[in-house]
Amino acid sequence: MKKNILGIFILLVAIFVITAIINPKFLNAYNMQNLIKWSSLYAVMSLGVAFVIITGGIDLSIGSVVGLVAVVLSICLKLEGMDPWSAIGIALILSLLIGLLHGILITKAKVQPFVVTLCGLLVYRSMGRWFTDNQSIGPMPMEEDAGYKNLEQIQHLDFVFSGKIAIGSFNLPTPAIFLLVLSIAAAIFLRRTIWGRYLFALGSNEDGTRYSGINTDRMKILAYVLCSFFAGMAGILFAFELDSVQPAQTGEFYELYAIAAAVLGGCSLRGGEGSVLGVVIAAAVIRLIYNSINMVGISTHLEFGILGLVILLGVIGDELIKKTVNRKQAVQTS
Amino acid sequence: MGEIVPPLIEVSGLTKSFPGVLALRGVSLHLKRGEVLALIGENGAGKSTLMKILAGIQSADAGDFIIDGEQVSFRNVNDAMLKGIALIHQELNLCGNLDLASNVFLGREPTKGGFVNESLMRHQAQQFLSQVGLDMPVNTLAGSLPIGKQQLVEIAKALSCNARVLIMDEPTSSLSQKETDTLFKVVKNLRAHGISIIYISHRLGEVIELADRVTVFRDGENAGDLGRDEINHENMVRLMVGRDLSEFYDRKIHQPGKKVLSLTKFRCPSFPDHPISLSVRAGEIVGIAGLVGAGRTELLQTIFGVTPAIGGVMEIDGKKKEISDPRTAISSGIALVPEDRKQHGLVLPMSVRENSSLPSLKRDSSRGWINESAEEQVTEEAVSALKIKTPNFEQVTRFLSGGNQQKIVLGKWLAMSPKLLMLDEPTRGIDIGAKREIYKLMEKLAGEGMAILFVSSEMEEVLGMADRAYVMHEGKISGELGHNQLSEKAIMNLATGILAAA
Amino acid sequence: MKIIYALGGAFLSLGLFFFAGCEGGGSSSKSDAPTFAYVTNGIDPFWDLCAAGVRIAEKEFGVNCEVLMPPKGVVDQKRMMEAMIAKGIDGVAVSPIDADNQTPFLNEVGRNTILITQDADAPKSDRLVYIGTNNYKAGRALGKLVKSAIPEGGEVMIFVGRLEQLNARQRRQGVIDELLGRSMQDLDKVKFDSVDSVNLTSEGSKYVIVDTRTDNFDKAKAKSNAEDSMTKYKNLKCMVGLFAYNPPACIDAIKEANKLGAIKVCGFDEQDALLQAIVEGHAHGTISQQPWEYGYESIKMLKSIYEGKQPENKYFELPFLVVDQSNVESFWAKKKEMAELGKQD
Repeated sequence: MKKNILGIFILLVAIFVITAIINPKFLNAYNMQNLIKWSSLYAVMSLGVAFVIITGGIDLSIGSVVGLVAVVLSICLKLEGMDPWSAIGIALILSLLIGLLHGILITKAKVQPFVVTLCGLLVYRSMGRWFTDNQSIGPMPMEEDAGYKNLEQIQHLDFVFSGKIAIGSFNLPTPAIFLLVLSIAAAIFLRRTIWGRYLFALGSNEDGTRYSGINTDRMKILAYVLCSFFAGMAGILFAFELDSVQPAQTGEFYELYAIAAAVLGGCSLRGGEGSVLGVVIAAAVIRLIYNSINMVGISTHLEFGILGLVILLGVIGDELIKKTVNRKQAVQTS
Repeated sequence: MGEIVPPLIEVSGLTKSFPGVLALRGVSLHLKRGEVLALIGENGAGKSTLMKILAGIQSADAGDFIIDGEQVSFRNVNDAMLKGIALIHQELNLCGNLDLASNVFLGREPTKGGFVNESLMRHQAQQFLSQVGLDMPVNTLAGSLPIGKQQLVEIAKALSCNARVLIMDEPTSSLSQKETDTLFKVVKNLRAHGISIIYISHRLGEVIELADRVTVFRDGENAGDLGRDEINHENMVRLMVGRDLSEFYDRKIHQPGKKVLSLTKFRCPSFPDHPISLSVRAGEIVGIAGLVGAGRTELLQTIFGVTPAIGGVMEIDGKKKEISDPRTAISSGIALVPEDRKQHGLVLPMSVRENSSLPSLKRDSSRGWINESAEEQVTEEAVSALKIKTPNFEQVTRFLSGGNQQKIVLGKWLAMSPKLLMLDEPTRGIDIGAKREIYKLMEKLAGEGMAILFVSSEMEEVLGMADRAYVMHEGKISGELGHNQLSEKAIMNLATGILAAA
Repeated sequence: MKIIYALGGAFLSLGLFFFAGCEGGGSSSKSDAPTFAYVTNGIDPFWDLCAAGVRIAEKEFGVNCEVLMPPKGVVDQKRMMEAMIAKGIDGVAVSPIDADNQTPFLNEVGRNTILITQDADAPKSDRLVYIGTNNYKAGRALGKLVKSAIPEGGEVMIFVGRLEQLNARQRRQGVIDELLGRSMQDLDKVKFDSVDSVNLTSEGSKYVIVDTRTDNFDKAKAKSNAEDSMTKYKNLKCMVGLFAYNPPACIDAIKEANKLGAIKVCGFDEQDALLQAIVEGHAHGTISQQPWEYGYESIKMLKSIYEGKQPENKYFELPFLVVDQSNVESFWAKKKEMAELGKQD
């Protein structure tokens, strides 16, 4: 596992150094804060999909879940004037239920994950647009909104989810703390609990795992629930970060960023492989690329092109490393 | 006979290794024109590897390979075909949706002006098909033929490439007795026409009937050759096993205890019309013999809950159990070492430790936390009890040899101390040394009072290991043989359905 | 070894991109001249024309400019502006995507650099000035075009990308008010009809605005919206496209339904397909904001604020141009010339 992370870590450092050399302003505190903030937001989402990818599944609905959760949260807070913590609760429960639904459809109704979550992508996006008549909305209430009476509490929430904590002269964005807590929890879950072990086993060989007496269906459902839950967390973070939720656009495409980060971070789409640290670093690499493009002044039209190329090269490099490691192991035994 | 004809194929010093296994260690083999050479040996002895090299599917690491006095080295199957060598696979490769003529000439269709010359193709196909005794319209769909006839089409296909050497890998493993007889006629006819045949089989009876000469492999090496008049059962087994049978299968018959498993009118979903009744007692090793496809694997899988039973009664220790999935089977004290260890037995990308502890992980955990010392201990016990050869516990199982992999599958169940241990083809594809370890462990566990039920296609294994055996034929139990009734002939008769239960 | 080659290759190609970008953008390396960012609300040919104006101004005033087009809405717009601030940009002209909710962030930008809005305003923010067309007036002018296209009256349908944007709502309201003979409203106090309202009409008006369909910048959706409207409303007389790509989509749909001439098209902006249709008489006319003026005036404004001159007014109104068959050819020539000039940077 360690060897897999090395490649992506070198990539991170390399882009970092090159950008810093070309434009030293890249290193200023404001830019670093932003970089940390965006990396954290996207990494939370990517961690979620890593659970599913480890089991050999896929979740294409993440972006729409982010969007729907952000919409529902905004409606509850701003238009309904609901108690702010209950609104957060509702948003998270919604995401858990979505994951549960995916898991049950995949394991019990035997629909392929690709199909289930592709339909989810369409349905949740459309629900978000319908709930809002496709009008932009944000979690922060204005004077005329029902939620205005909770303004103070909502501002607290805004600080919790998108504030900055001064550490000396550096302002640490709070999403970074969420990422830290969630990634440590995810790493412990995957490496220290039996369920984490089962997810890896199931992703490598579902039949073999079932023959060892493990309830593979339940573990798969768990993976989808976790995935949607993390997407829901990301939805809340994005809503507060942007203060503006566009039902048709917020979260659009994010599933692909998340999957790209998971793959670049060492998860195999065949299942059974992946590490939390790798995914977090990969999510940071993707955000770093975006930032570098702006800092260096490359045409924004090249963004996707460069991103695609880096992911491809990263995955190829990873594959080469794996091959070498495998060869060494094979030689060891003979 | 006195004239000296140089051999058609001469192989010497051939070596081939795979990651983790040295499959062939300098083997030699020679084949004369118009002879049937039987190649026998235990699974994992290297027969299939050699055949794949001869047919150009794999290439050797070192060694000489001479055809008609000319040194050759095949890069692919086409190279081998050009030299007249064709391999008839164990699994047939016909396209079921094409007719016979198209199958025979698949990829080599005679053409005229860019289009397939249908009439020429049909005419030629007819000739090759009749050469193997198939007189049926060439526009019959291949998929509509029974398996035995499909095999003859494969042979016709090989003949159409001007094959001089046919390699047949366990051709009778899924044939009925009648189909087998037909095949033998065809083989003898081909031999009479000067075609040489390398015949790989586990069925020693067939070898005695068919072979002009026998070459025996053991552990990737030549164990010896037998001329026509030396071919008999005892000689072949002695060369294959390397010692006398009684020494290899070191069995003591234990006094069986109470019934651990009892099935009454038990029905598997794959053969719903054939209710099965059997029982296994504590301390007893019971074999299930039969041909491939007789429903033995399905029976074990149903007992284990992979494909839950659709009727009948199953009792464990005299208590009725409903087993709907492997989880409930395991909690009832049942363990299964499956036939396909790569697909069902192990999680190959995981380590020795992770595989060994997989079933016991939950039992040893507290509130979901993995108990690492218990995990270590479980692995340690499995590795030492079965003498698993691994550099360390973190070794990924994919890179271990078949024998060591199989030992890990067995080892992971030891930690669960099952009451009933089921093994499906426990020694398929593993080396002699690992085989011995597994037999010894089975004997030891039975001595400690475990009930053991195993399925095997290897006659020697059933004869050597079982206290008692059931024989299955086409989904039903065609007979039960007590220890003193066990013989190759009795088993074959029941397995092929010639005799009802004695 | 192979890994090292592969990684080396990756970094090398990456580095090349960076250097290539450096040459092209050339923004951070030049001398003391100020650097301004021109931030759009998406990717569209309209913005390419604006960029042309930016390039002209860049030369004329001796400044450096970066044109940023966020591909995916608010998120991209936010991070691009953040990066500009980090780079120490001297001024930003932005077309905000969701003005109300983006206000706190726009204020953050305003604290760090000169902030002006263009094309779309964020009235609650601390932007120094808004450069824009009076979209309500432009909408009314478009309404007049519709009236001259179908003087006998009839059913009118409006097509637009998104109605979350203030400028889109204002344009739409201008069209509606003009057609229904309502009185002129003040730009900052425009009252809007609900976005869902169908069959809008008023006593004494010959016109019915049967519906408004949005497509979220999806061009294919824009076309199918136009197709569906012909199926649904058999008596449709005129299609009004409020975003640049809407009128060509309408013309396409009408052409395929063999209804050219039977259904009139009035549009906004100046895509070639629309201009061609005006030349051929298949579309009636369009309102052009002369996009190059956006780019040009934005940079001019930033430069003057940078030099210490505060704008006199919070609103800088850009004139719009009514284009119909009488002036389409000279206008088109001007557009081509502008586009060509813009490419030369």
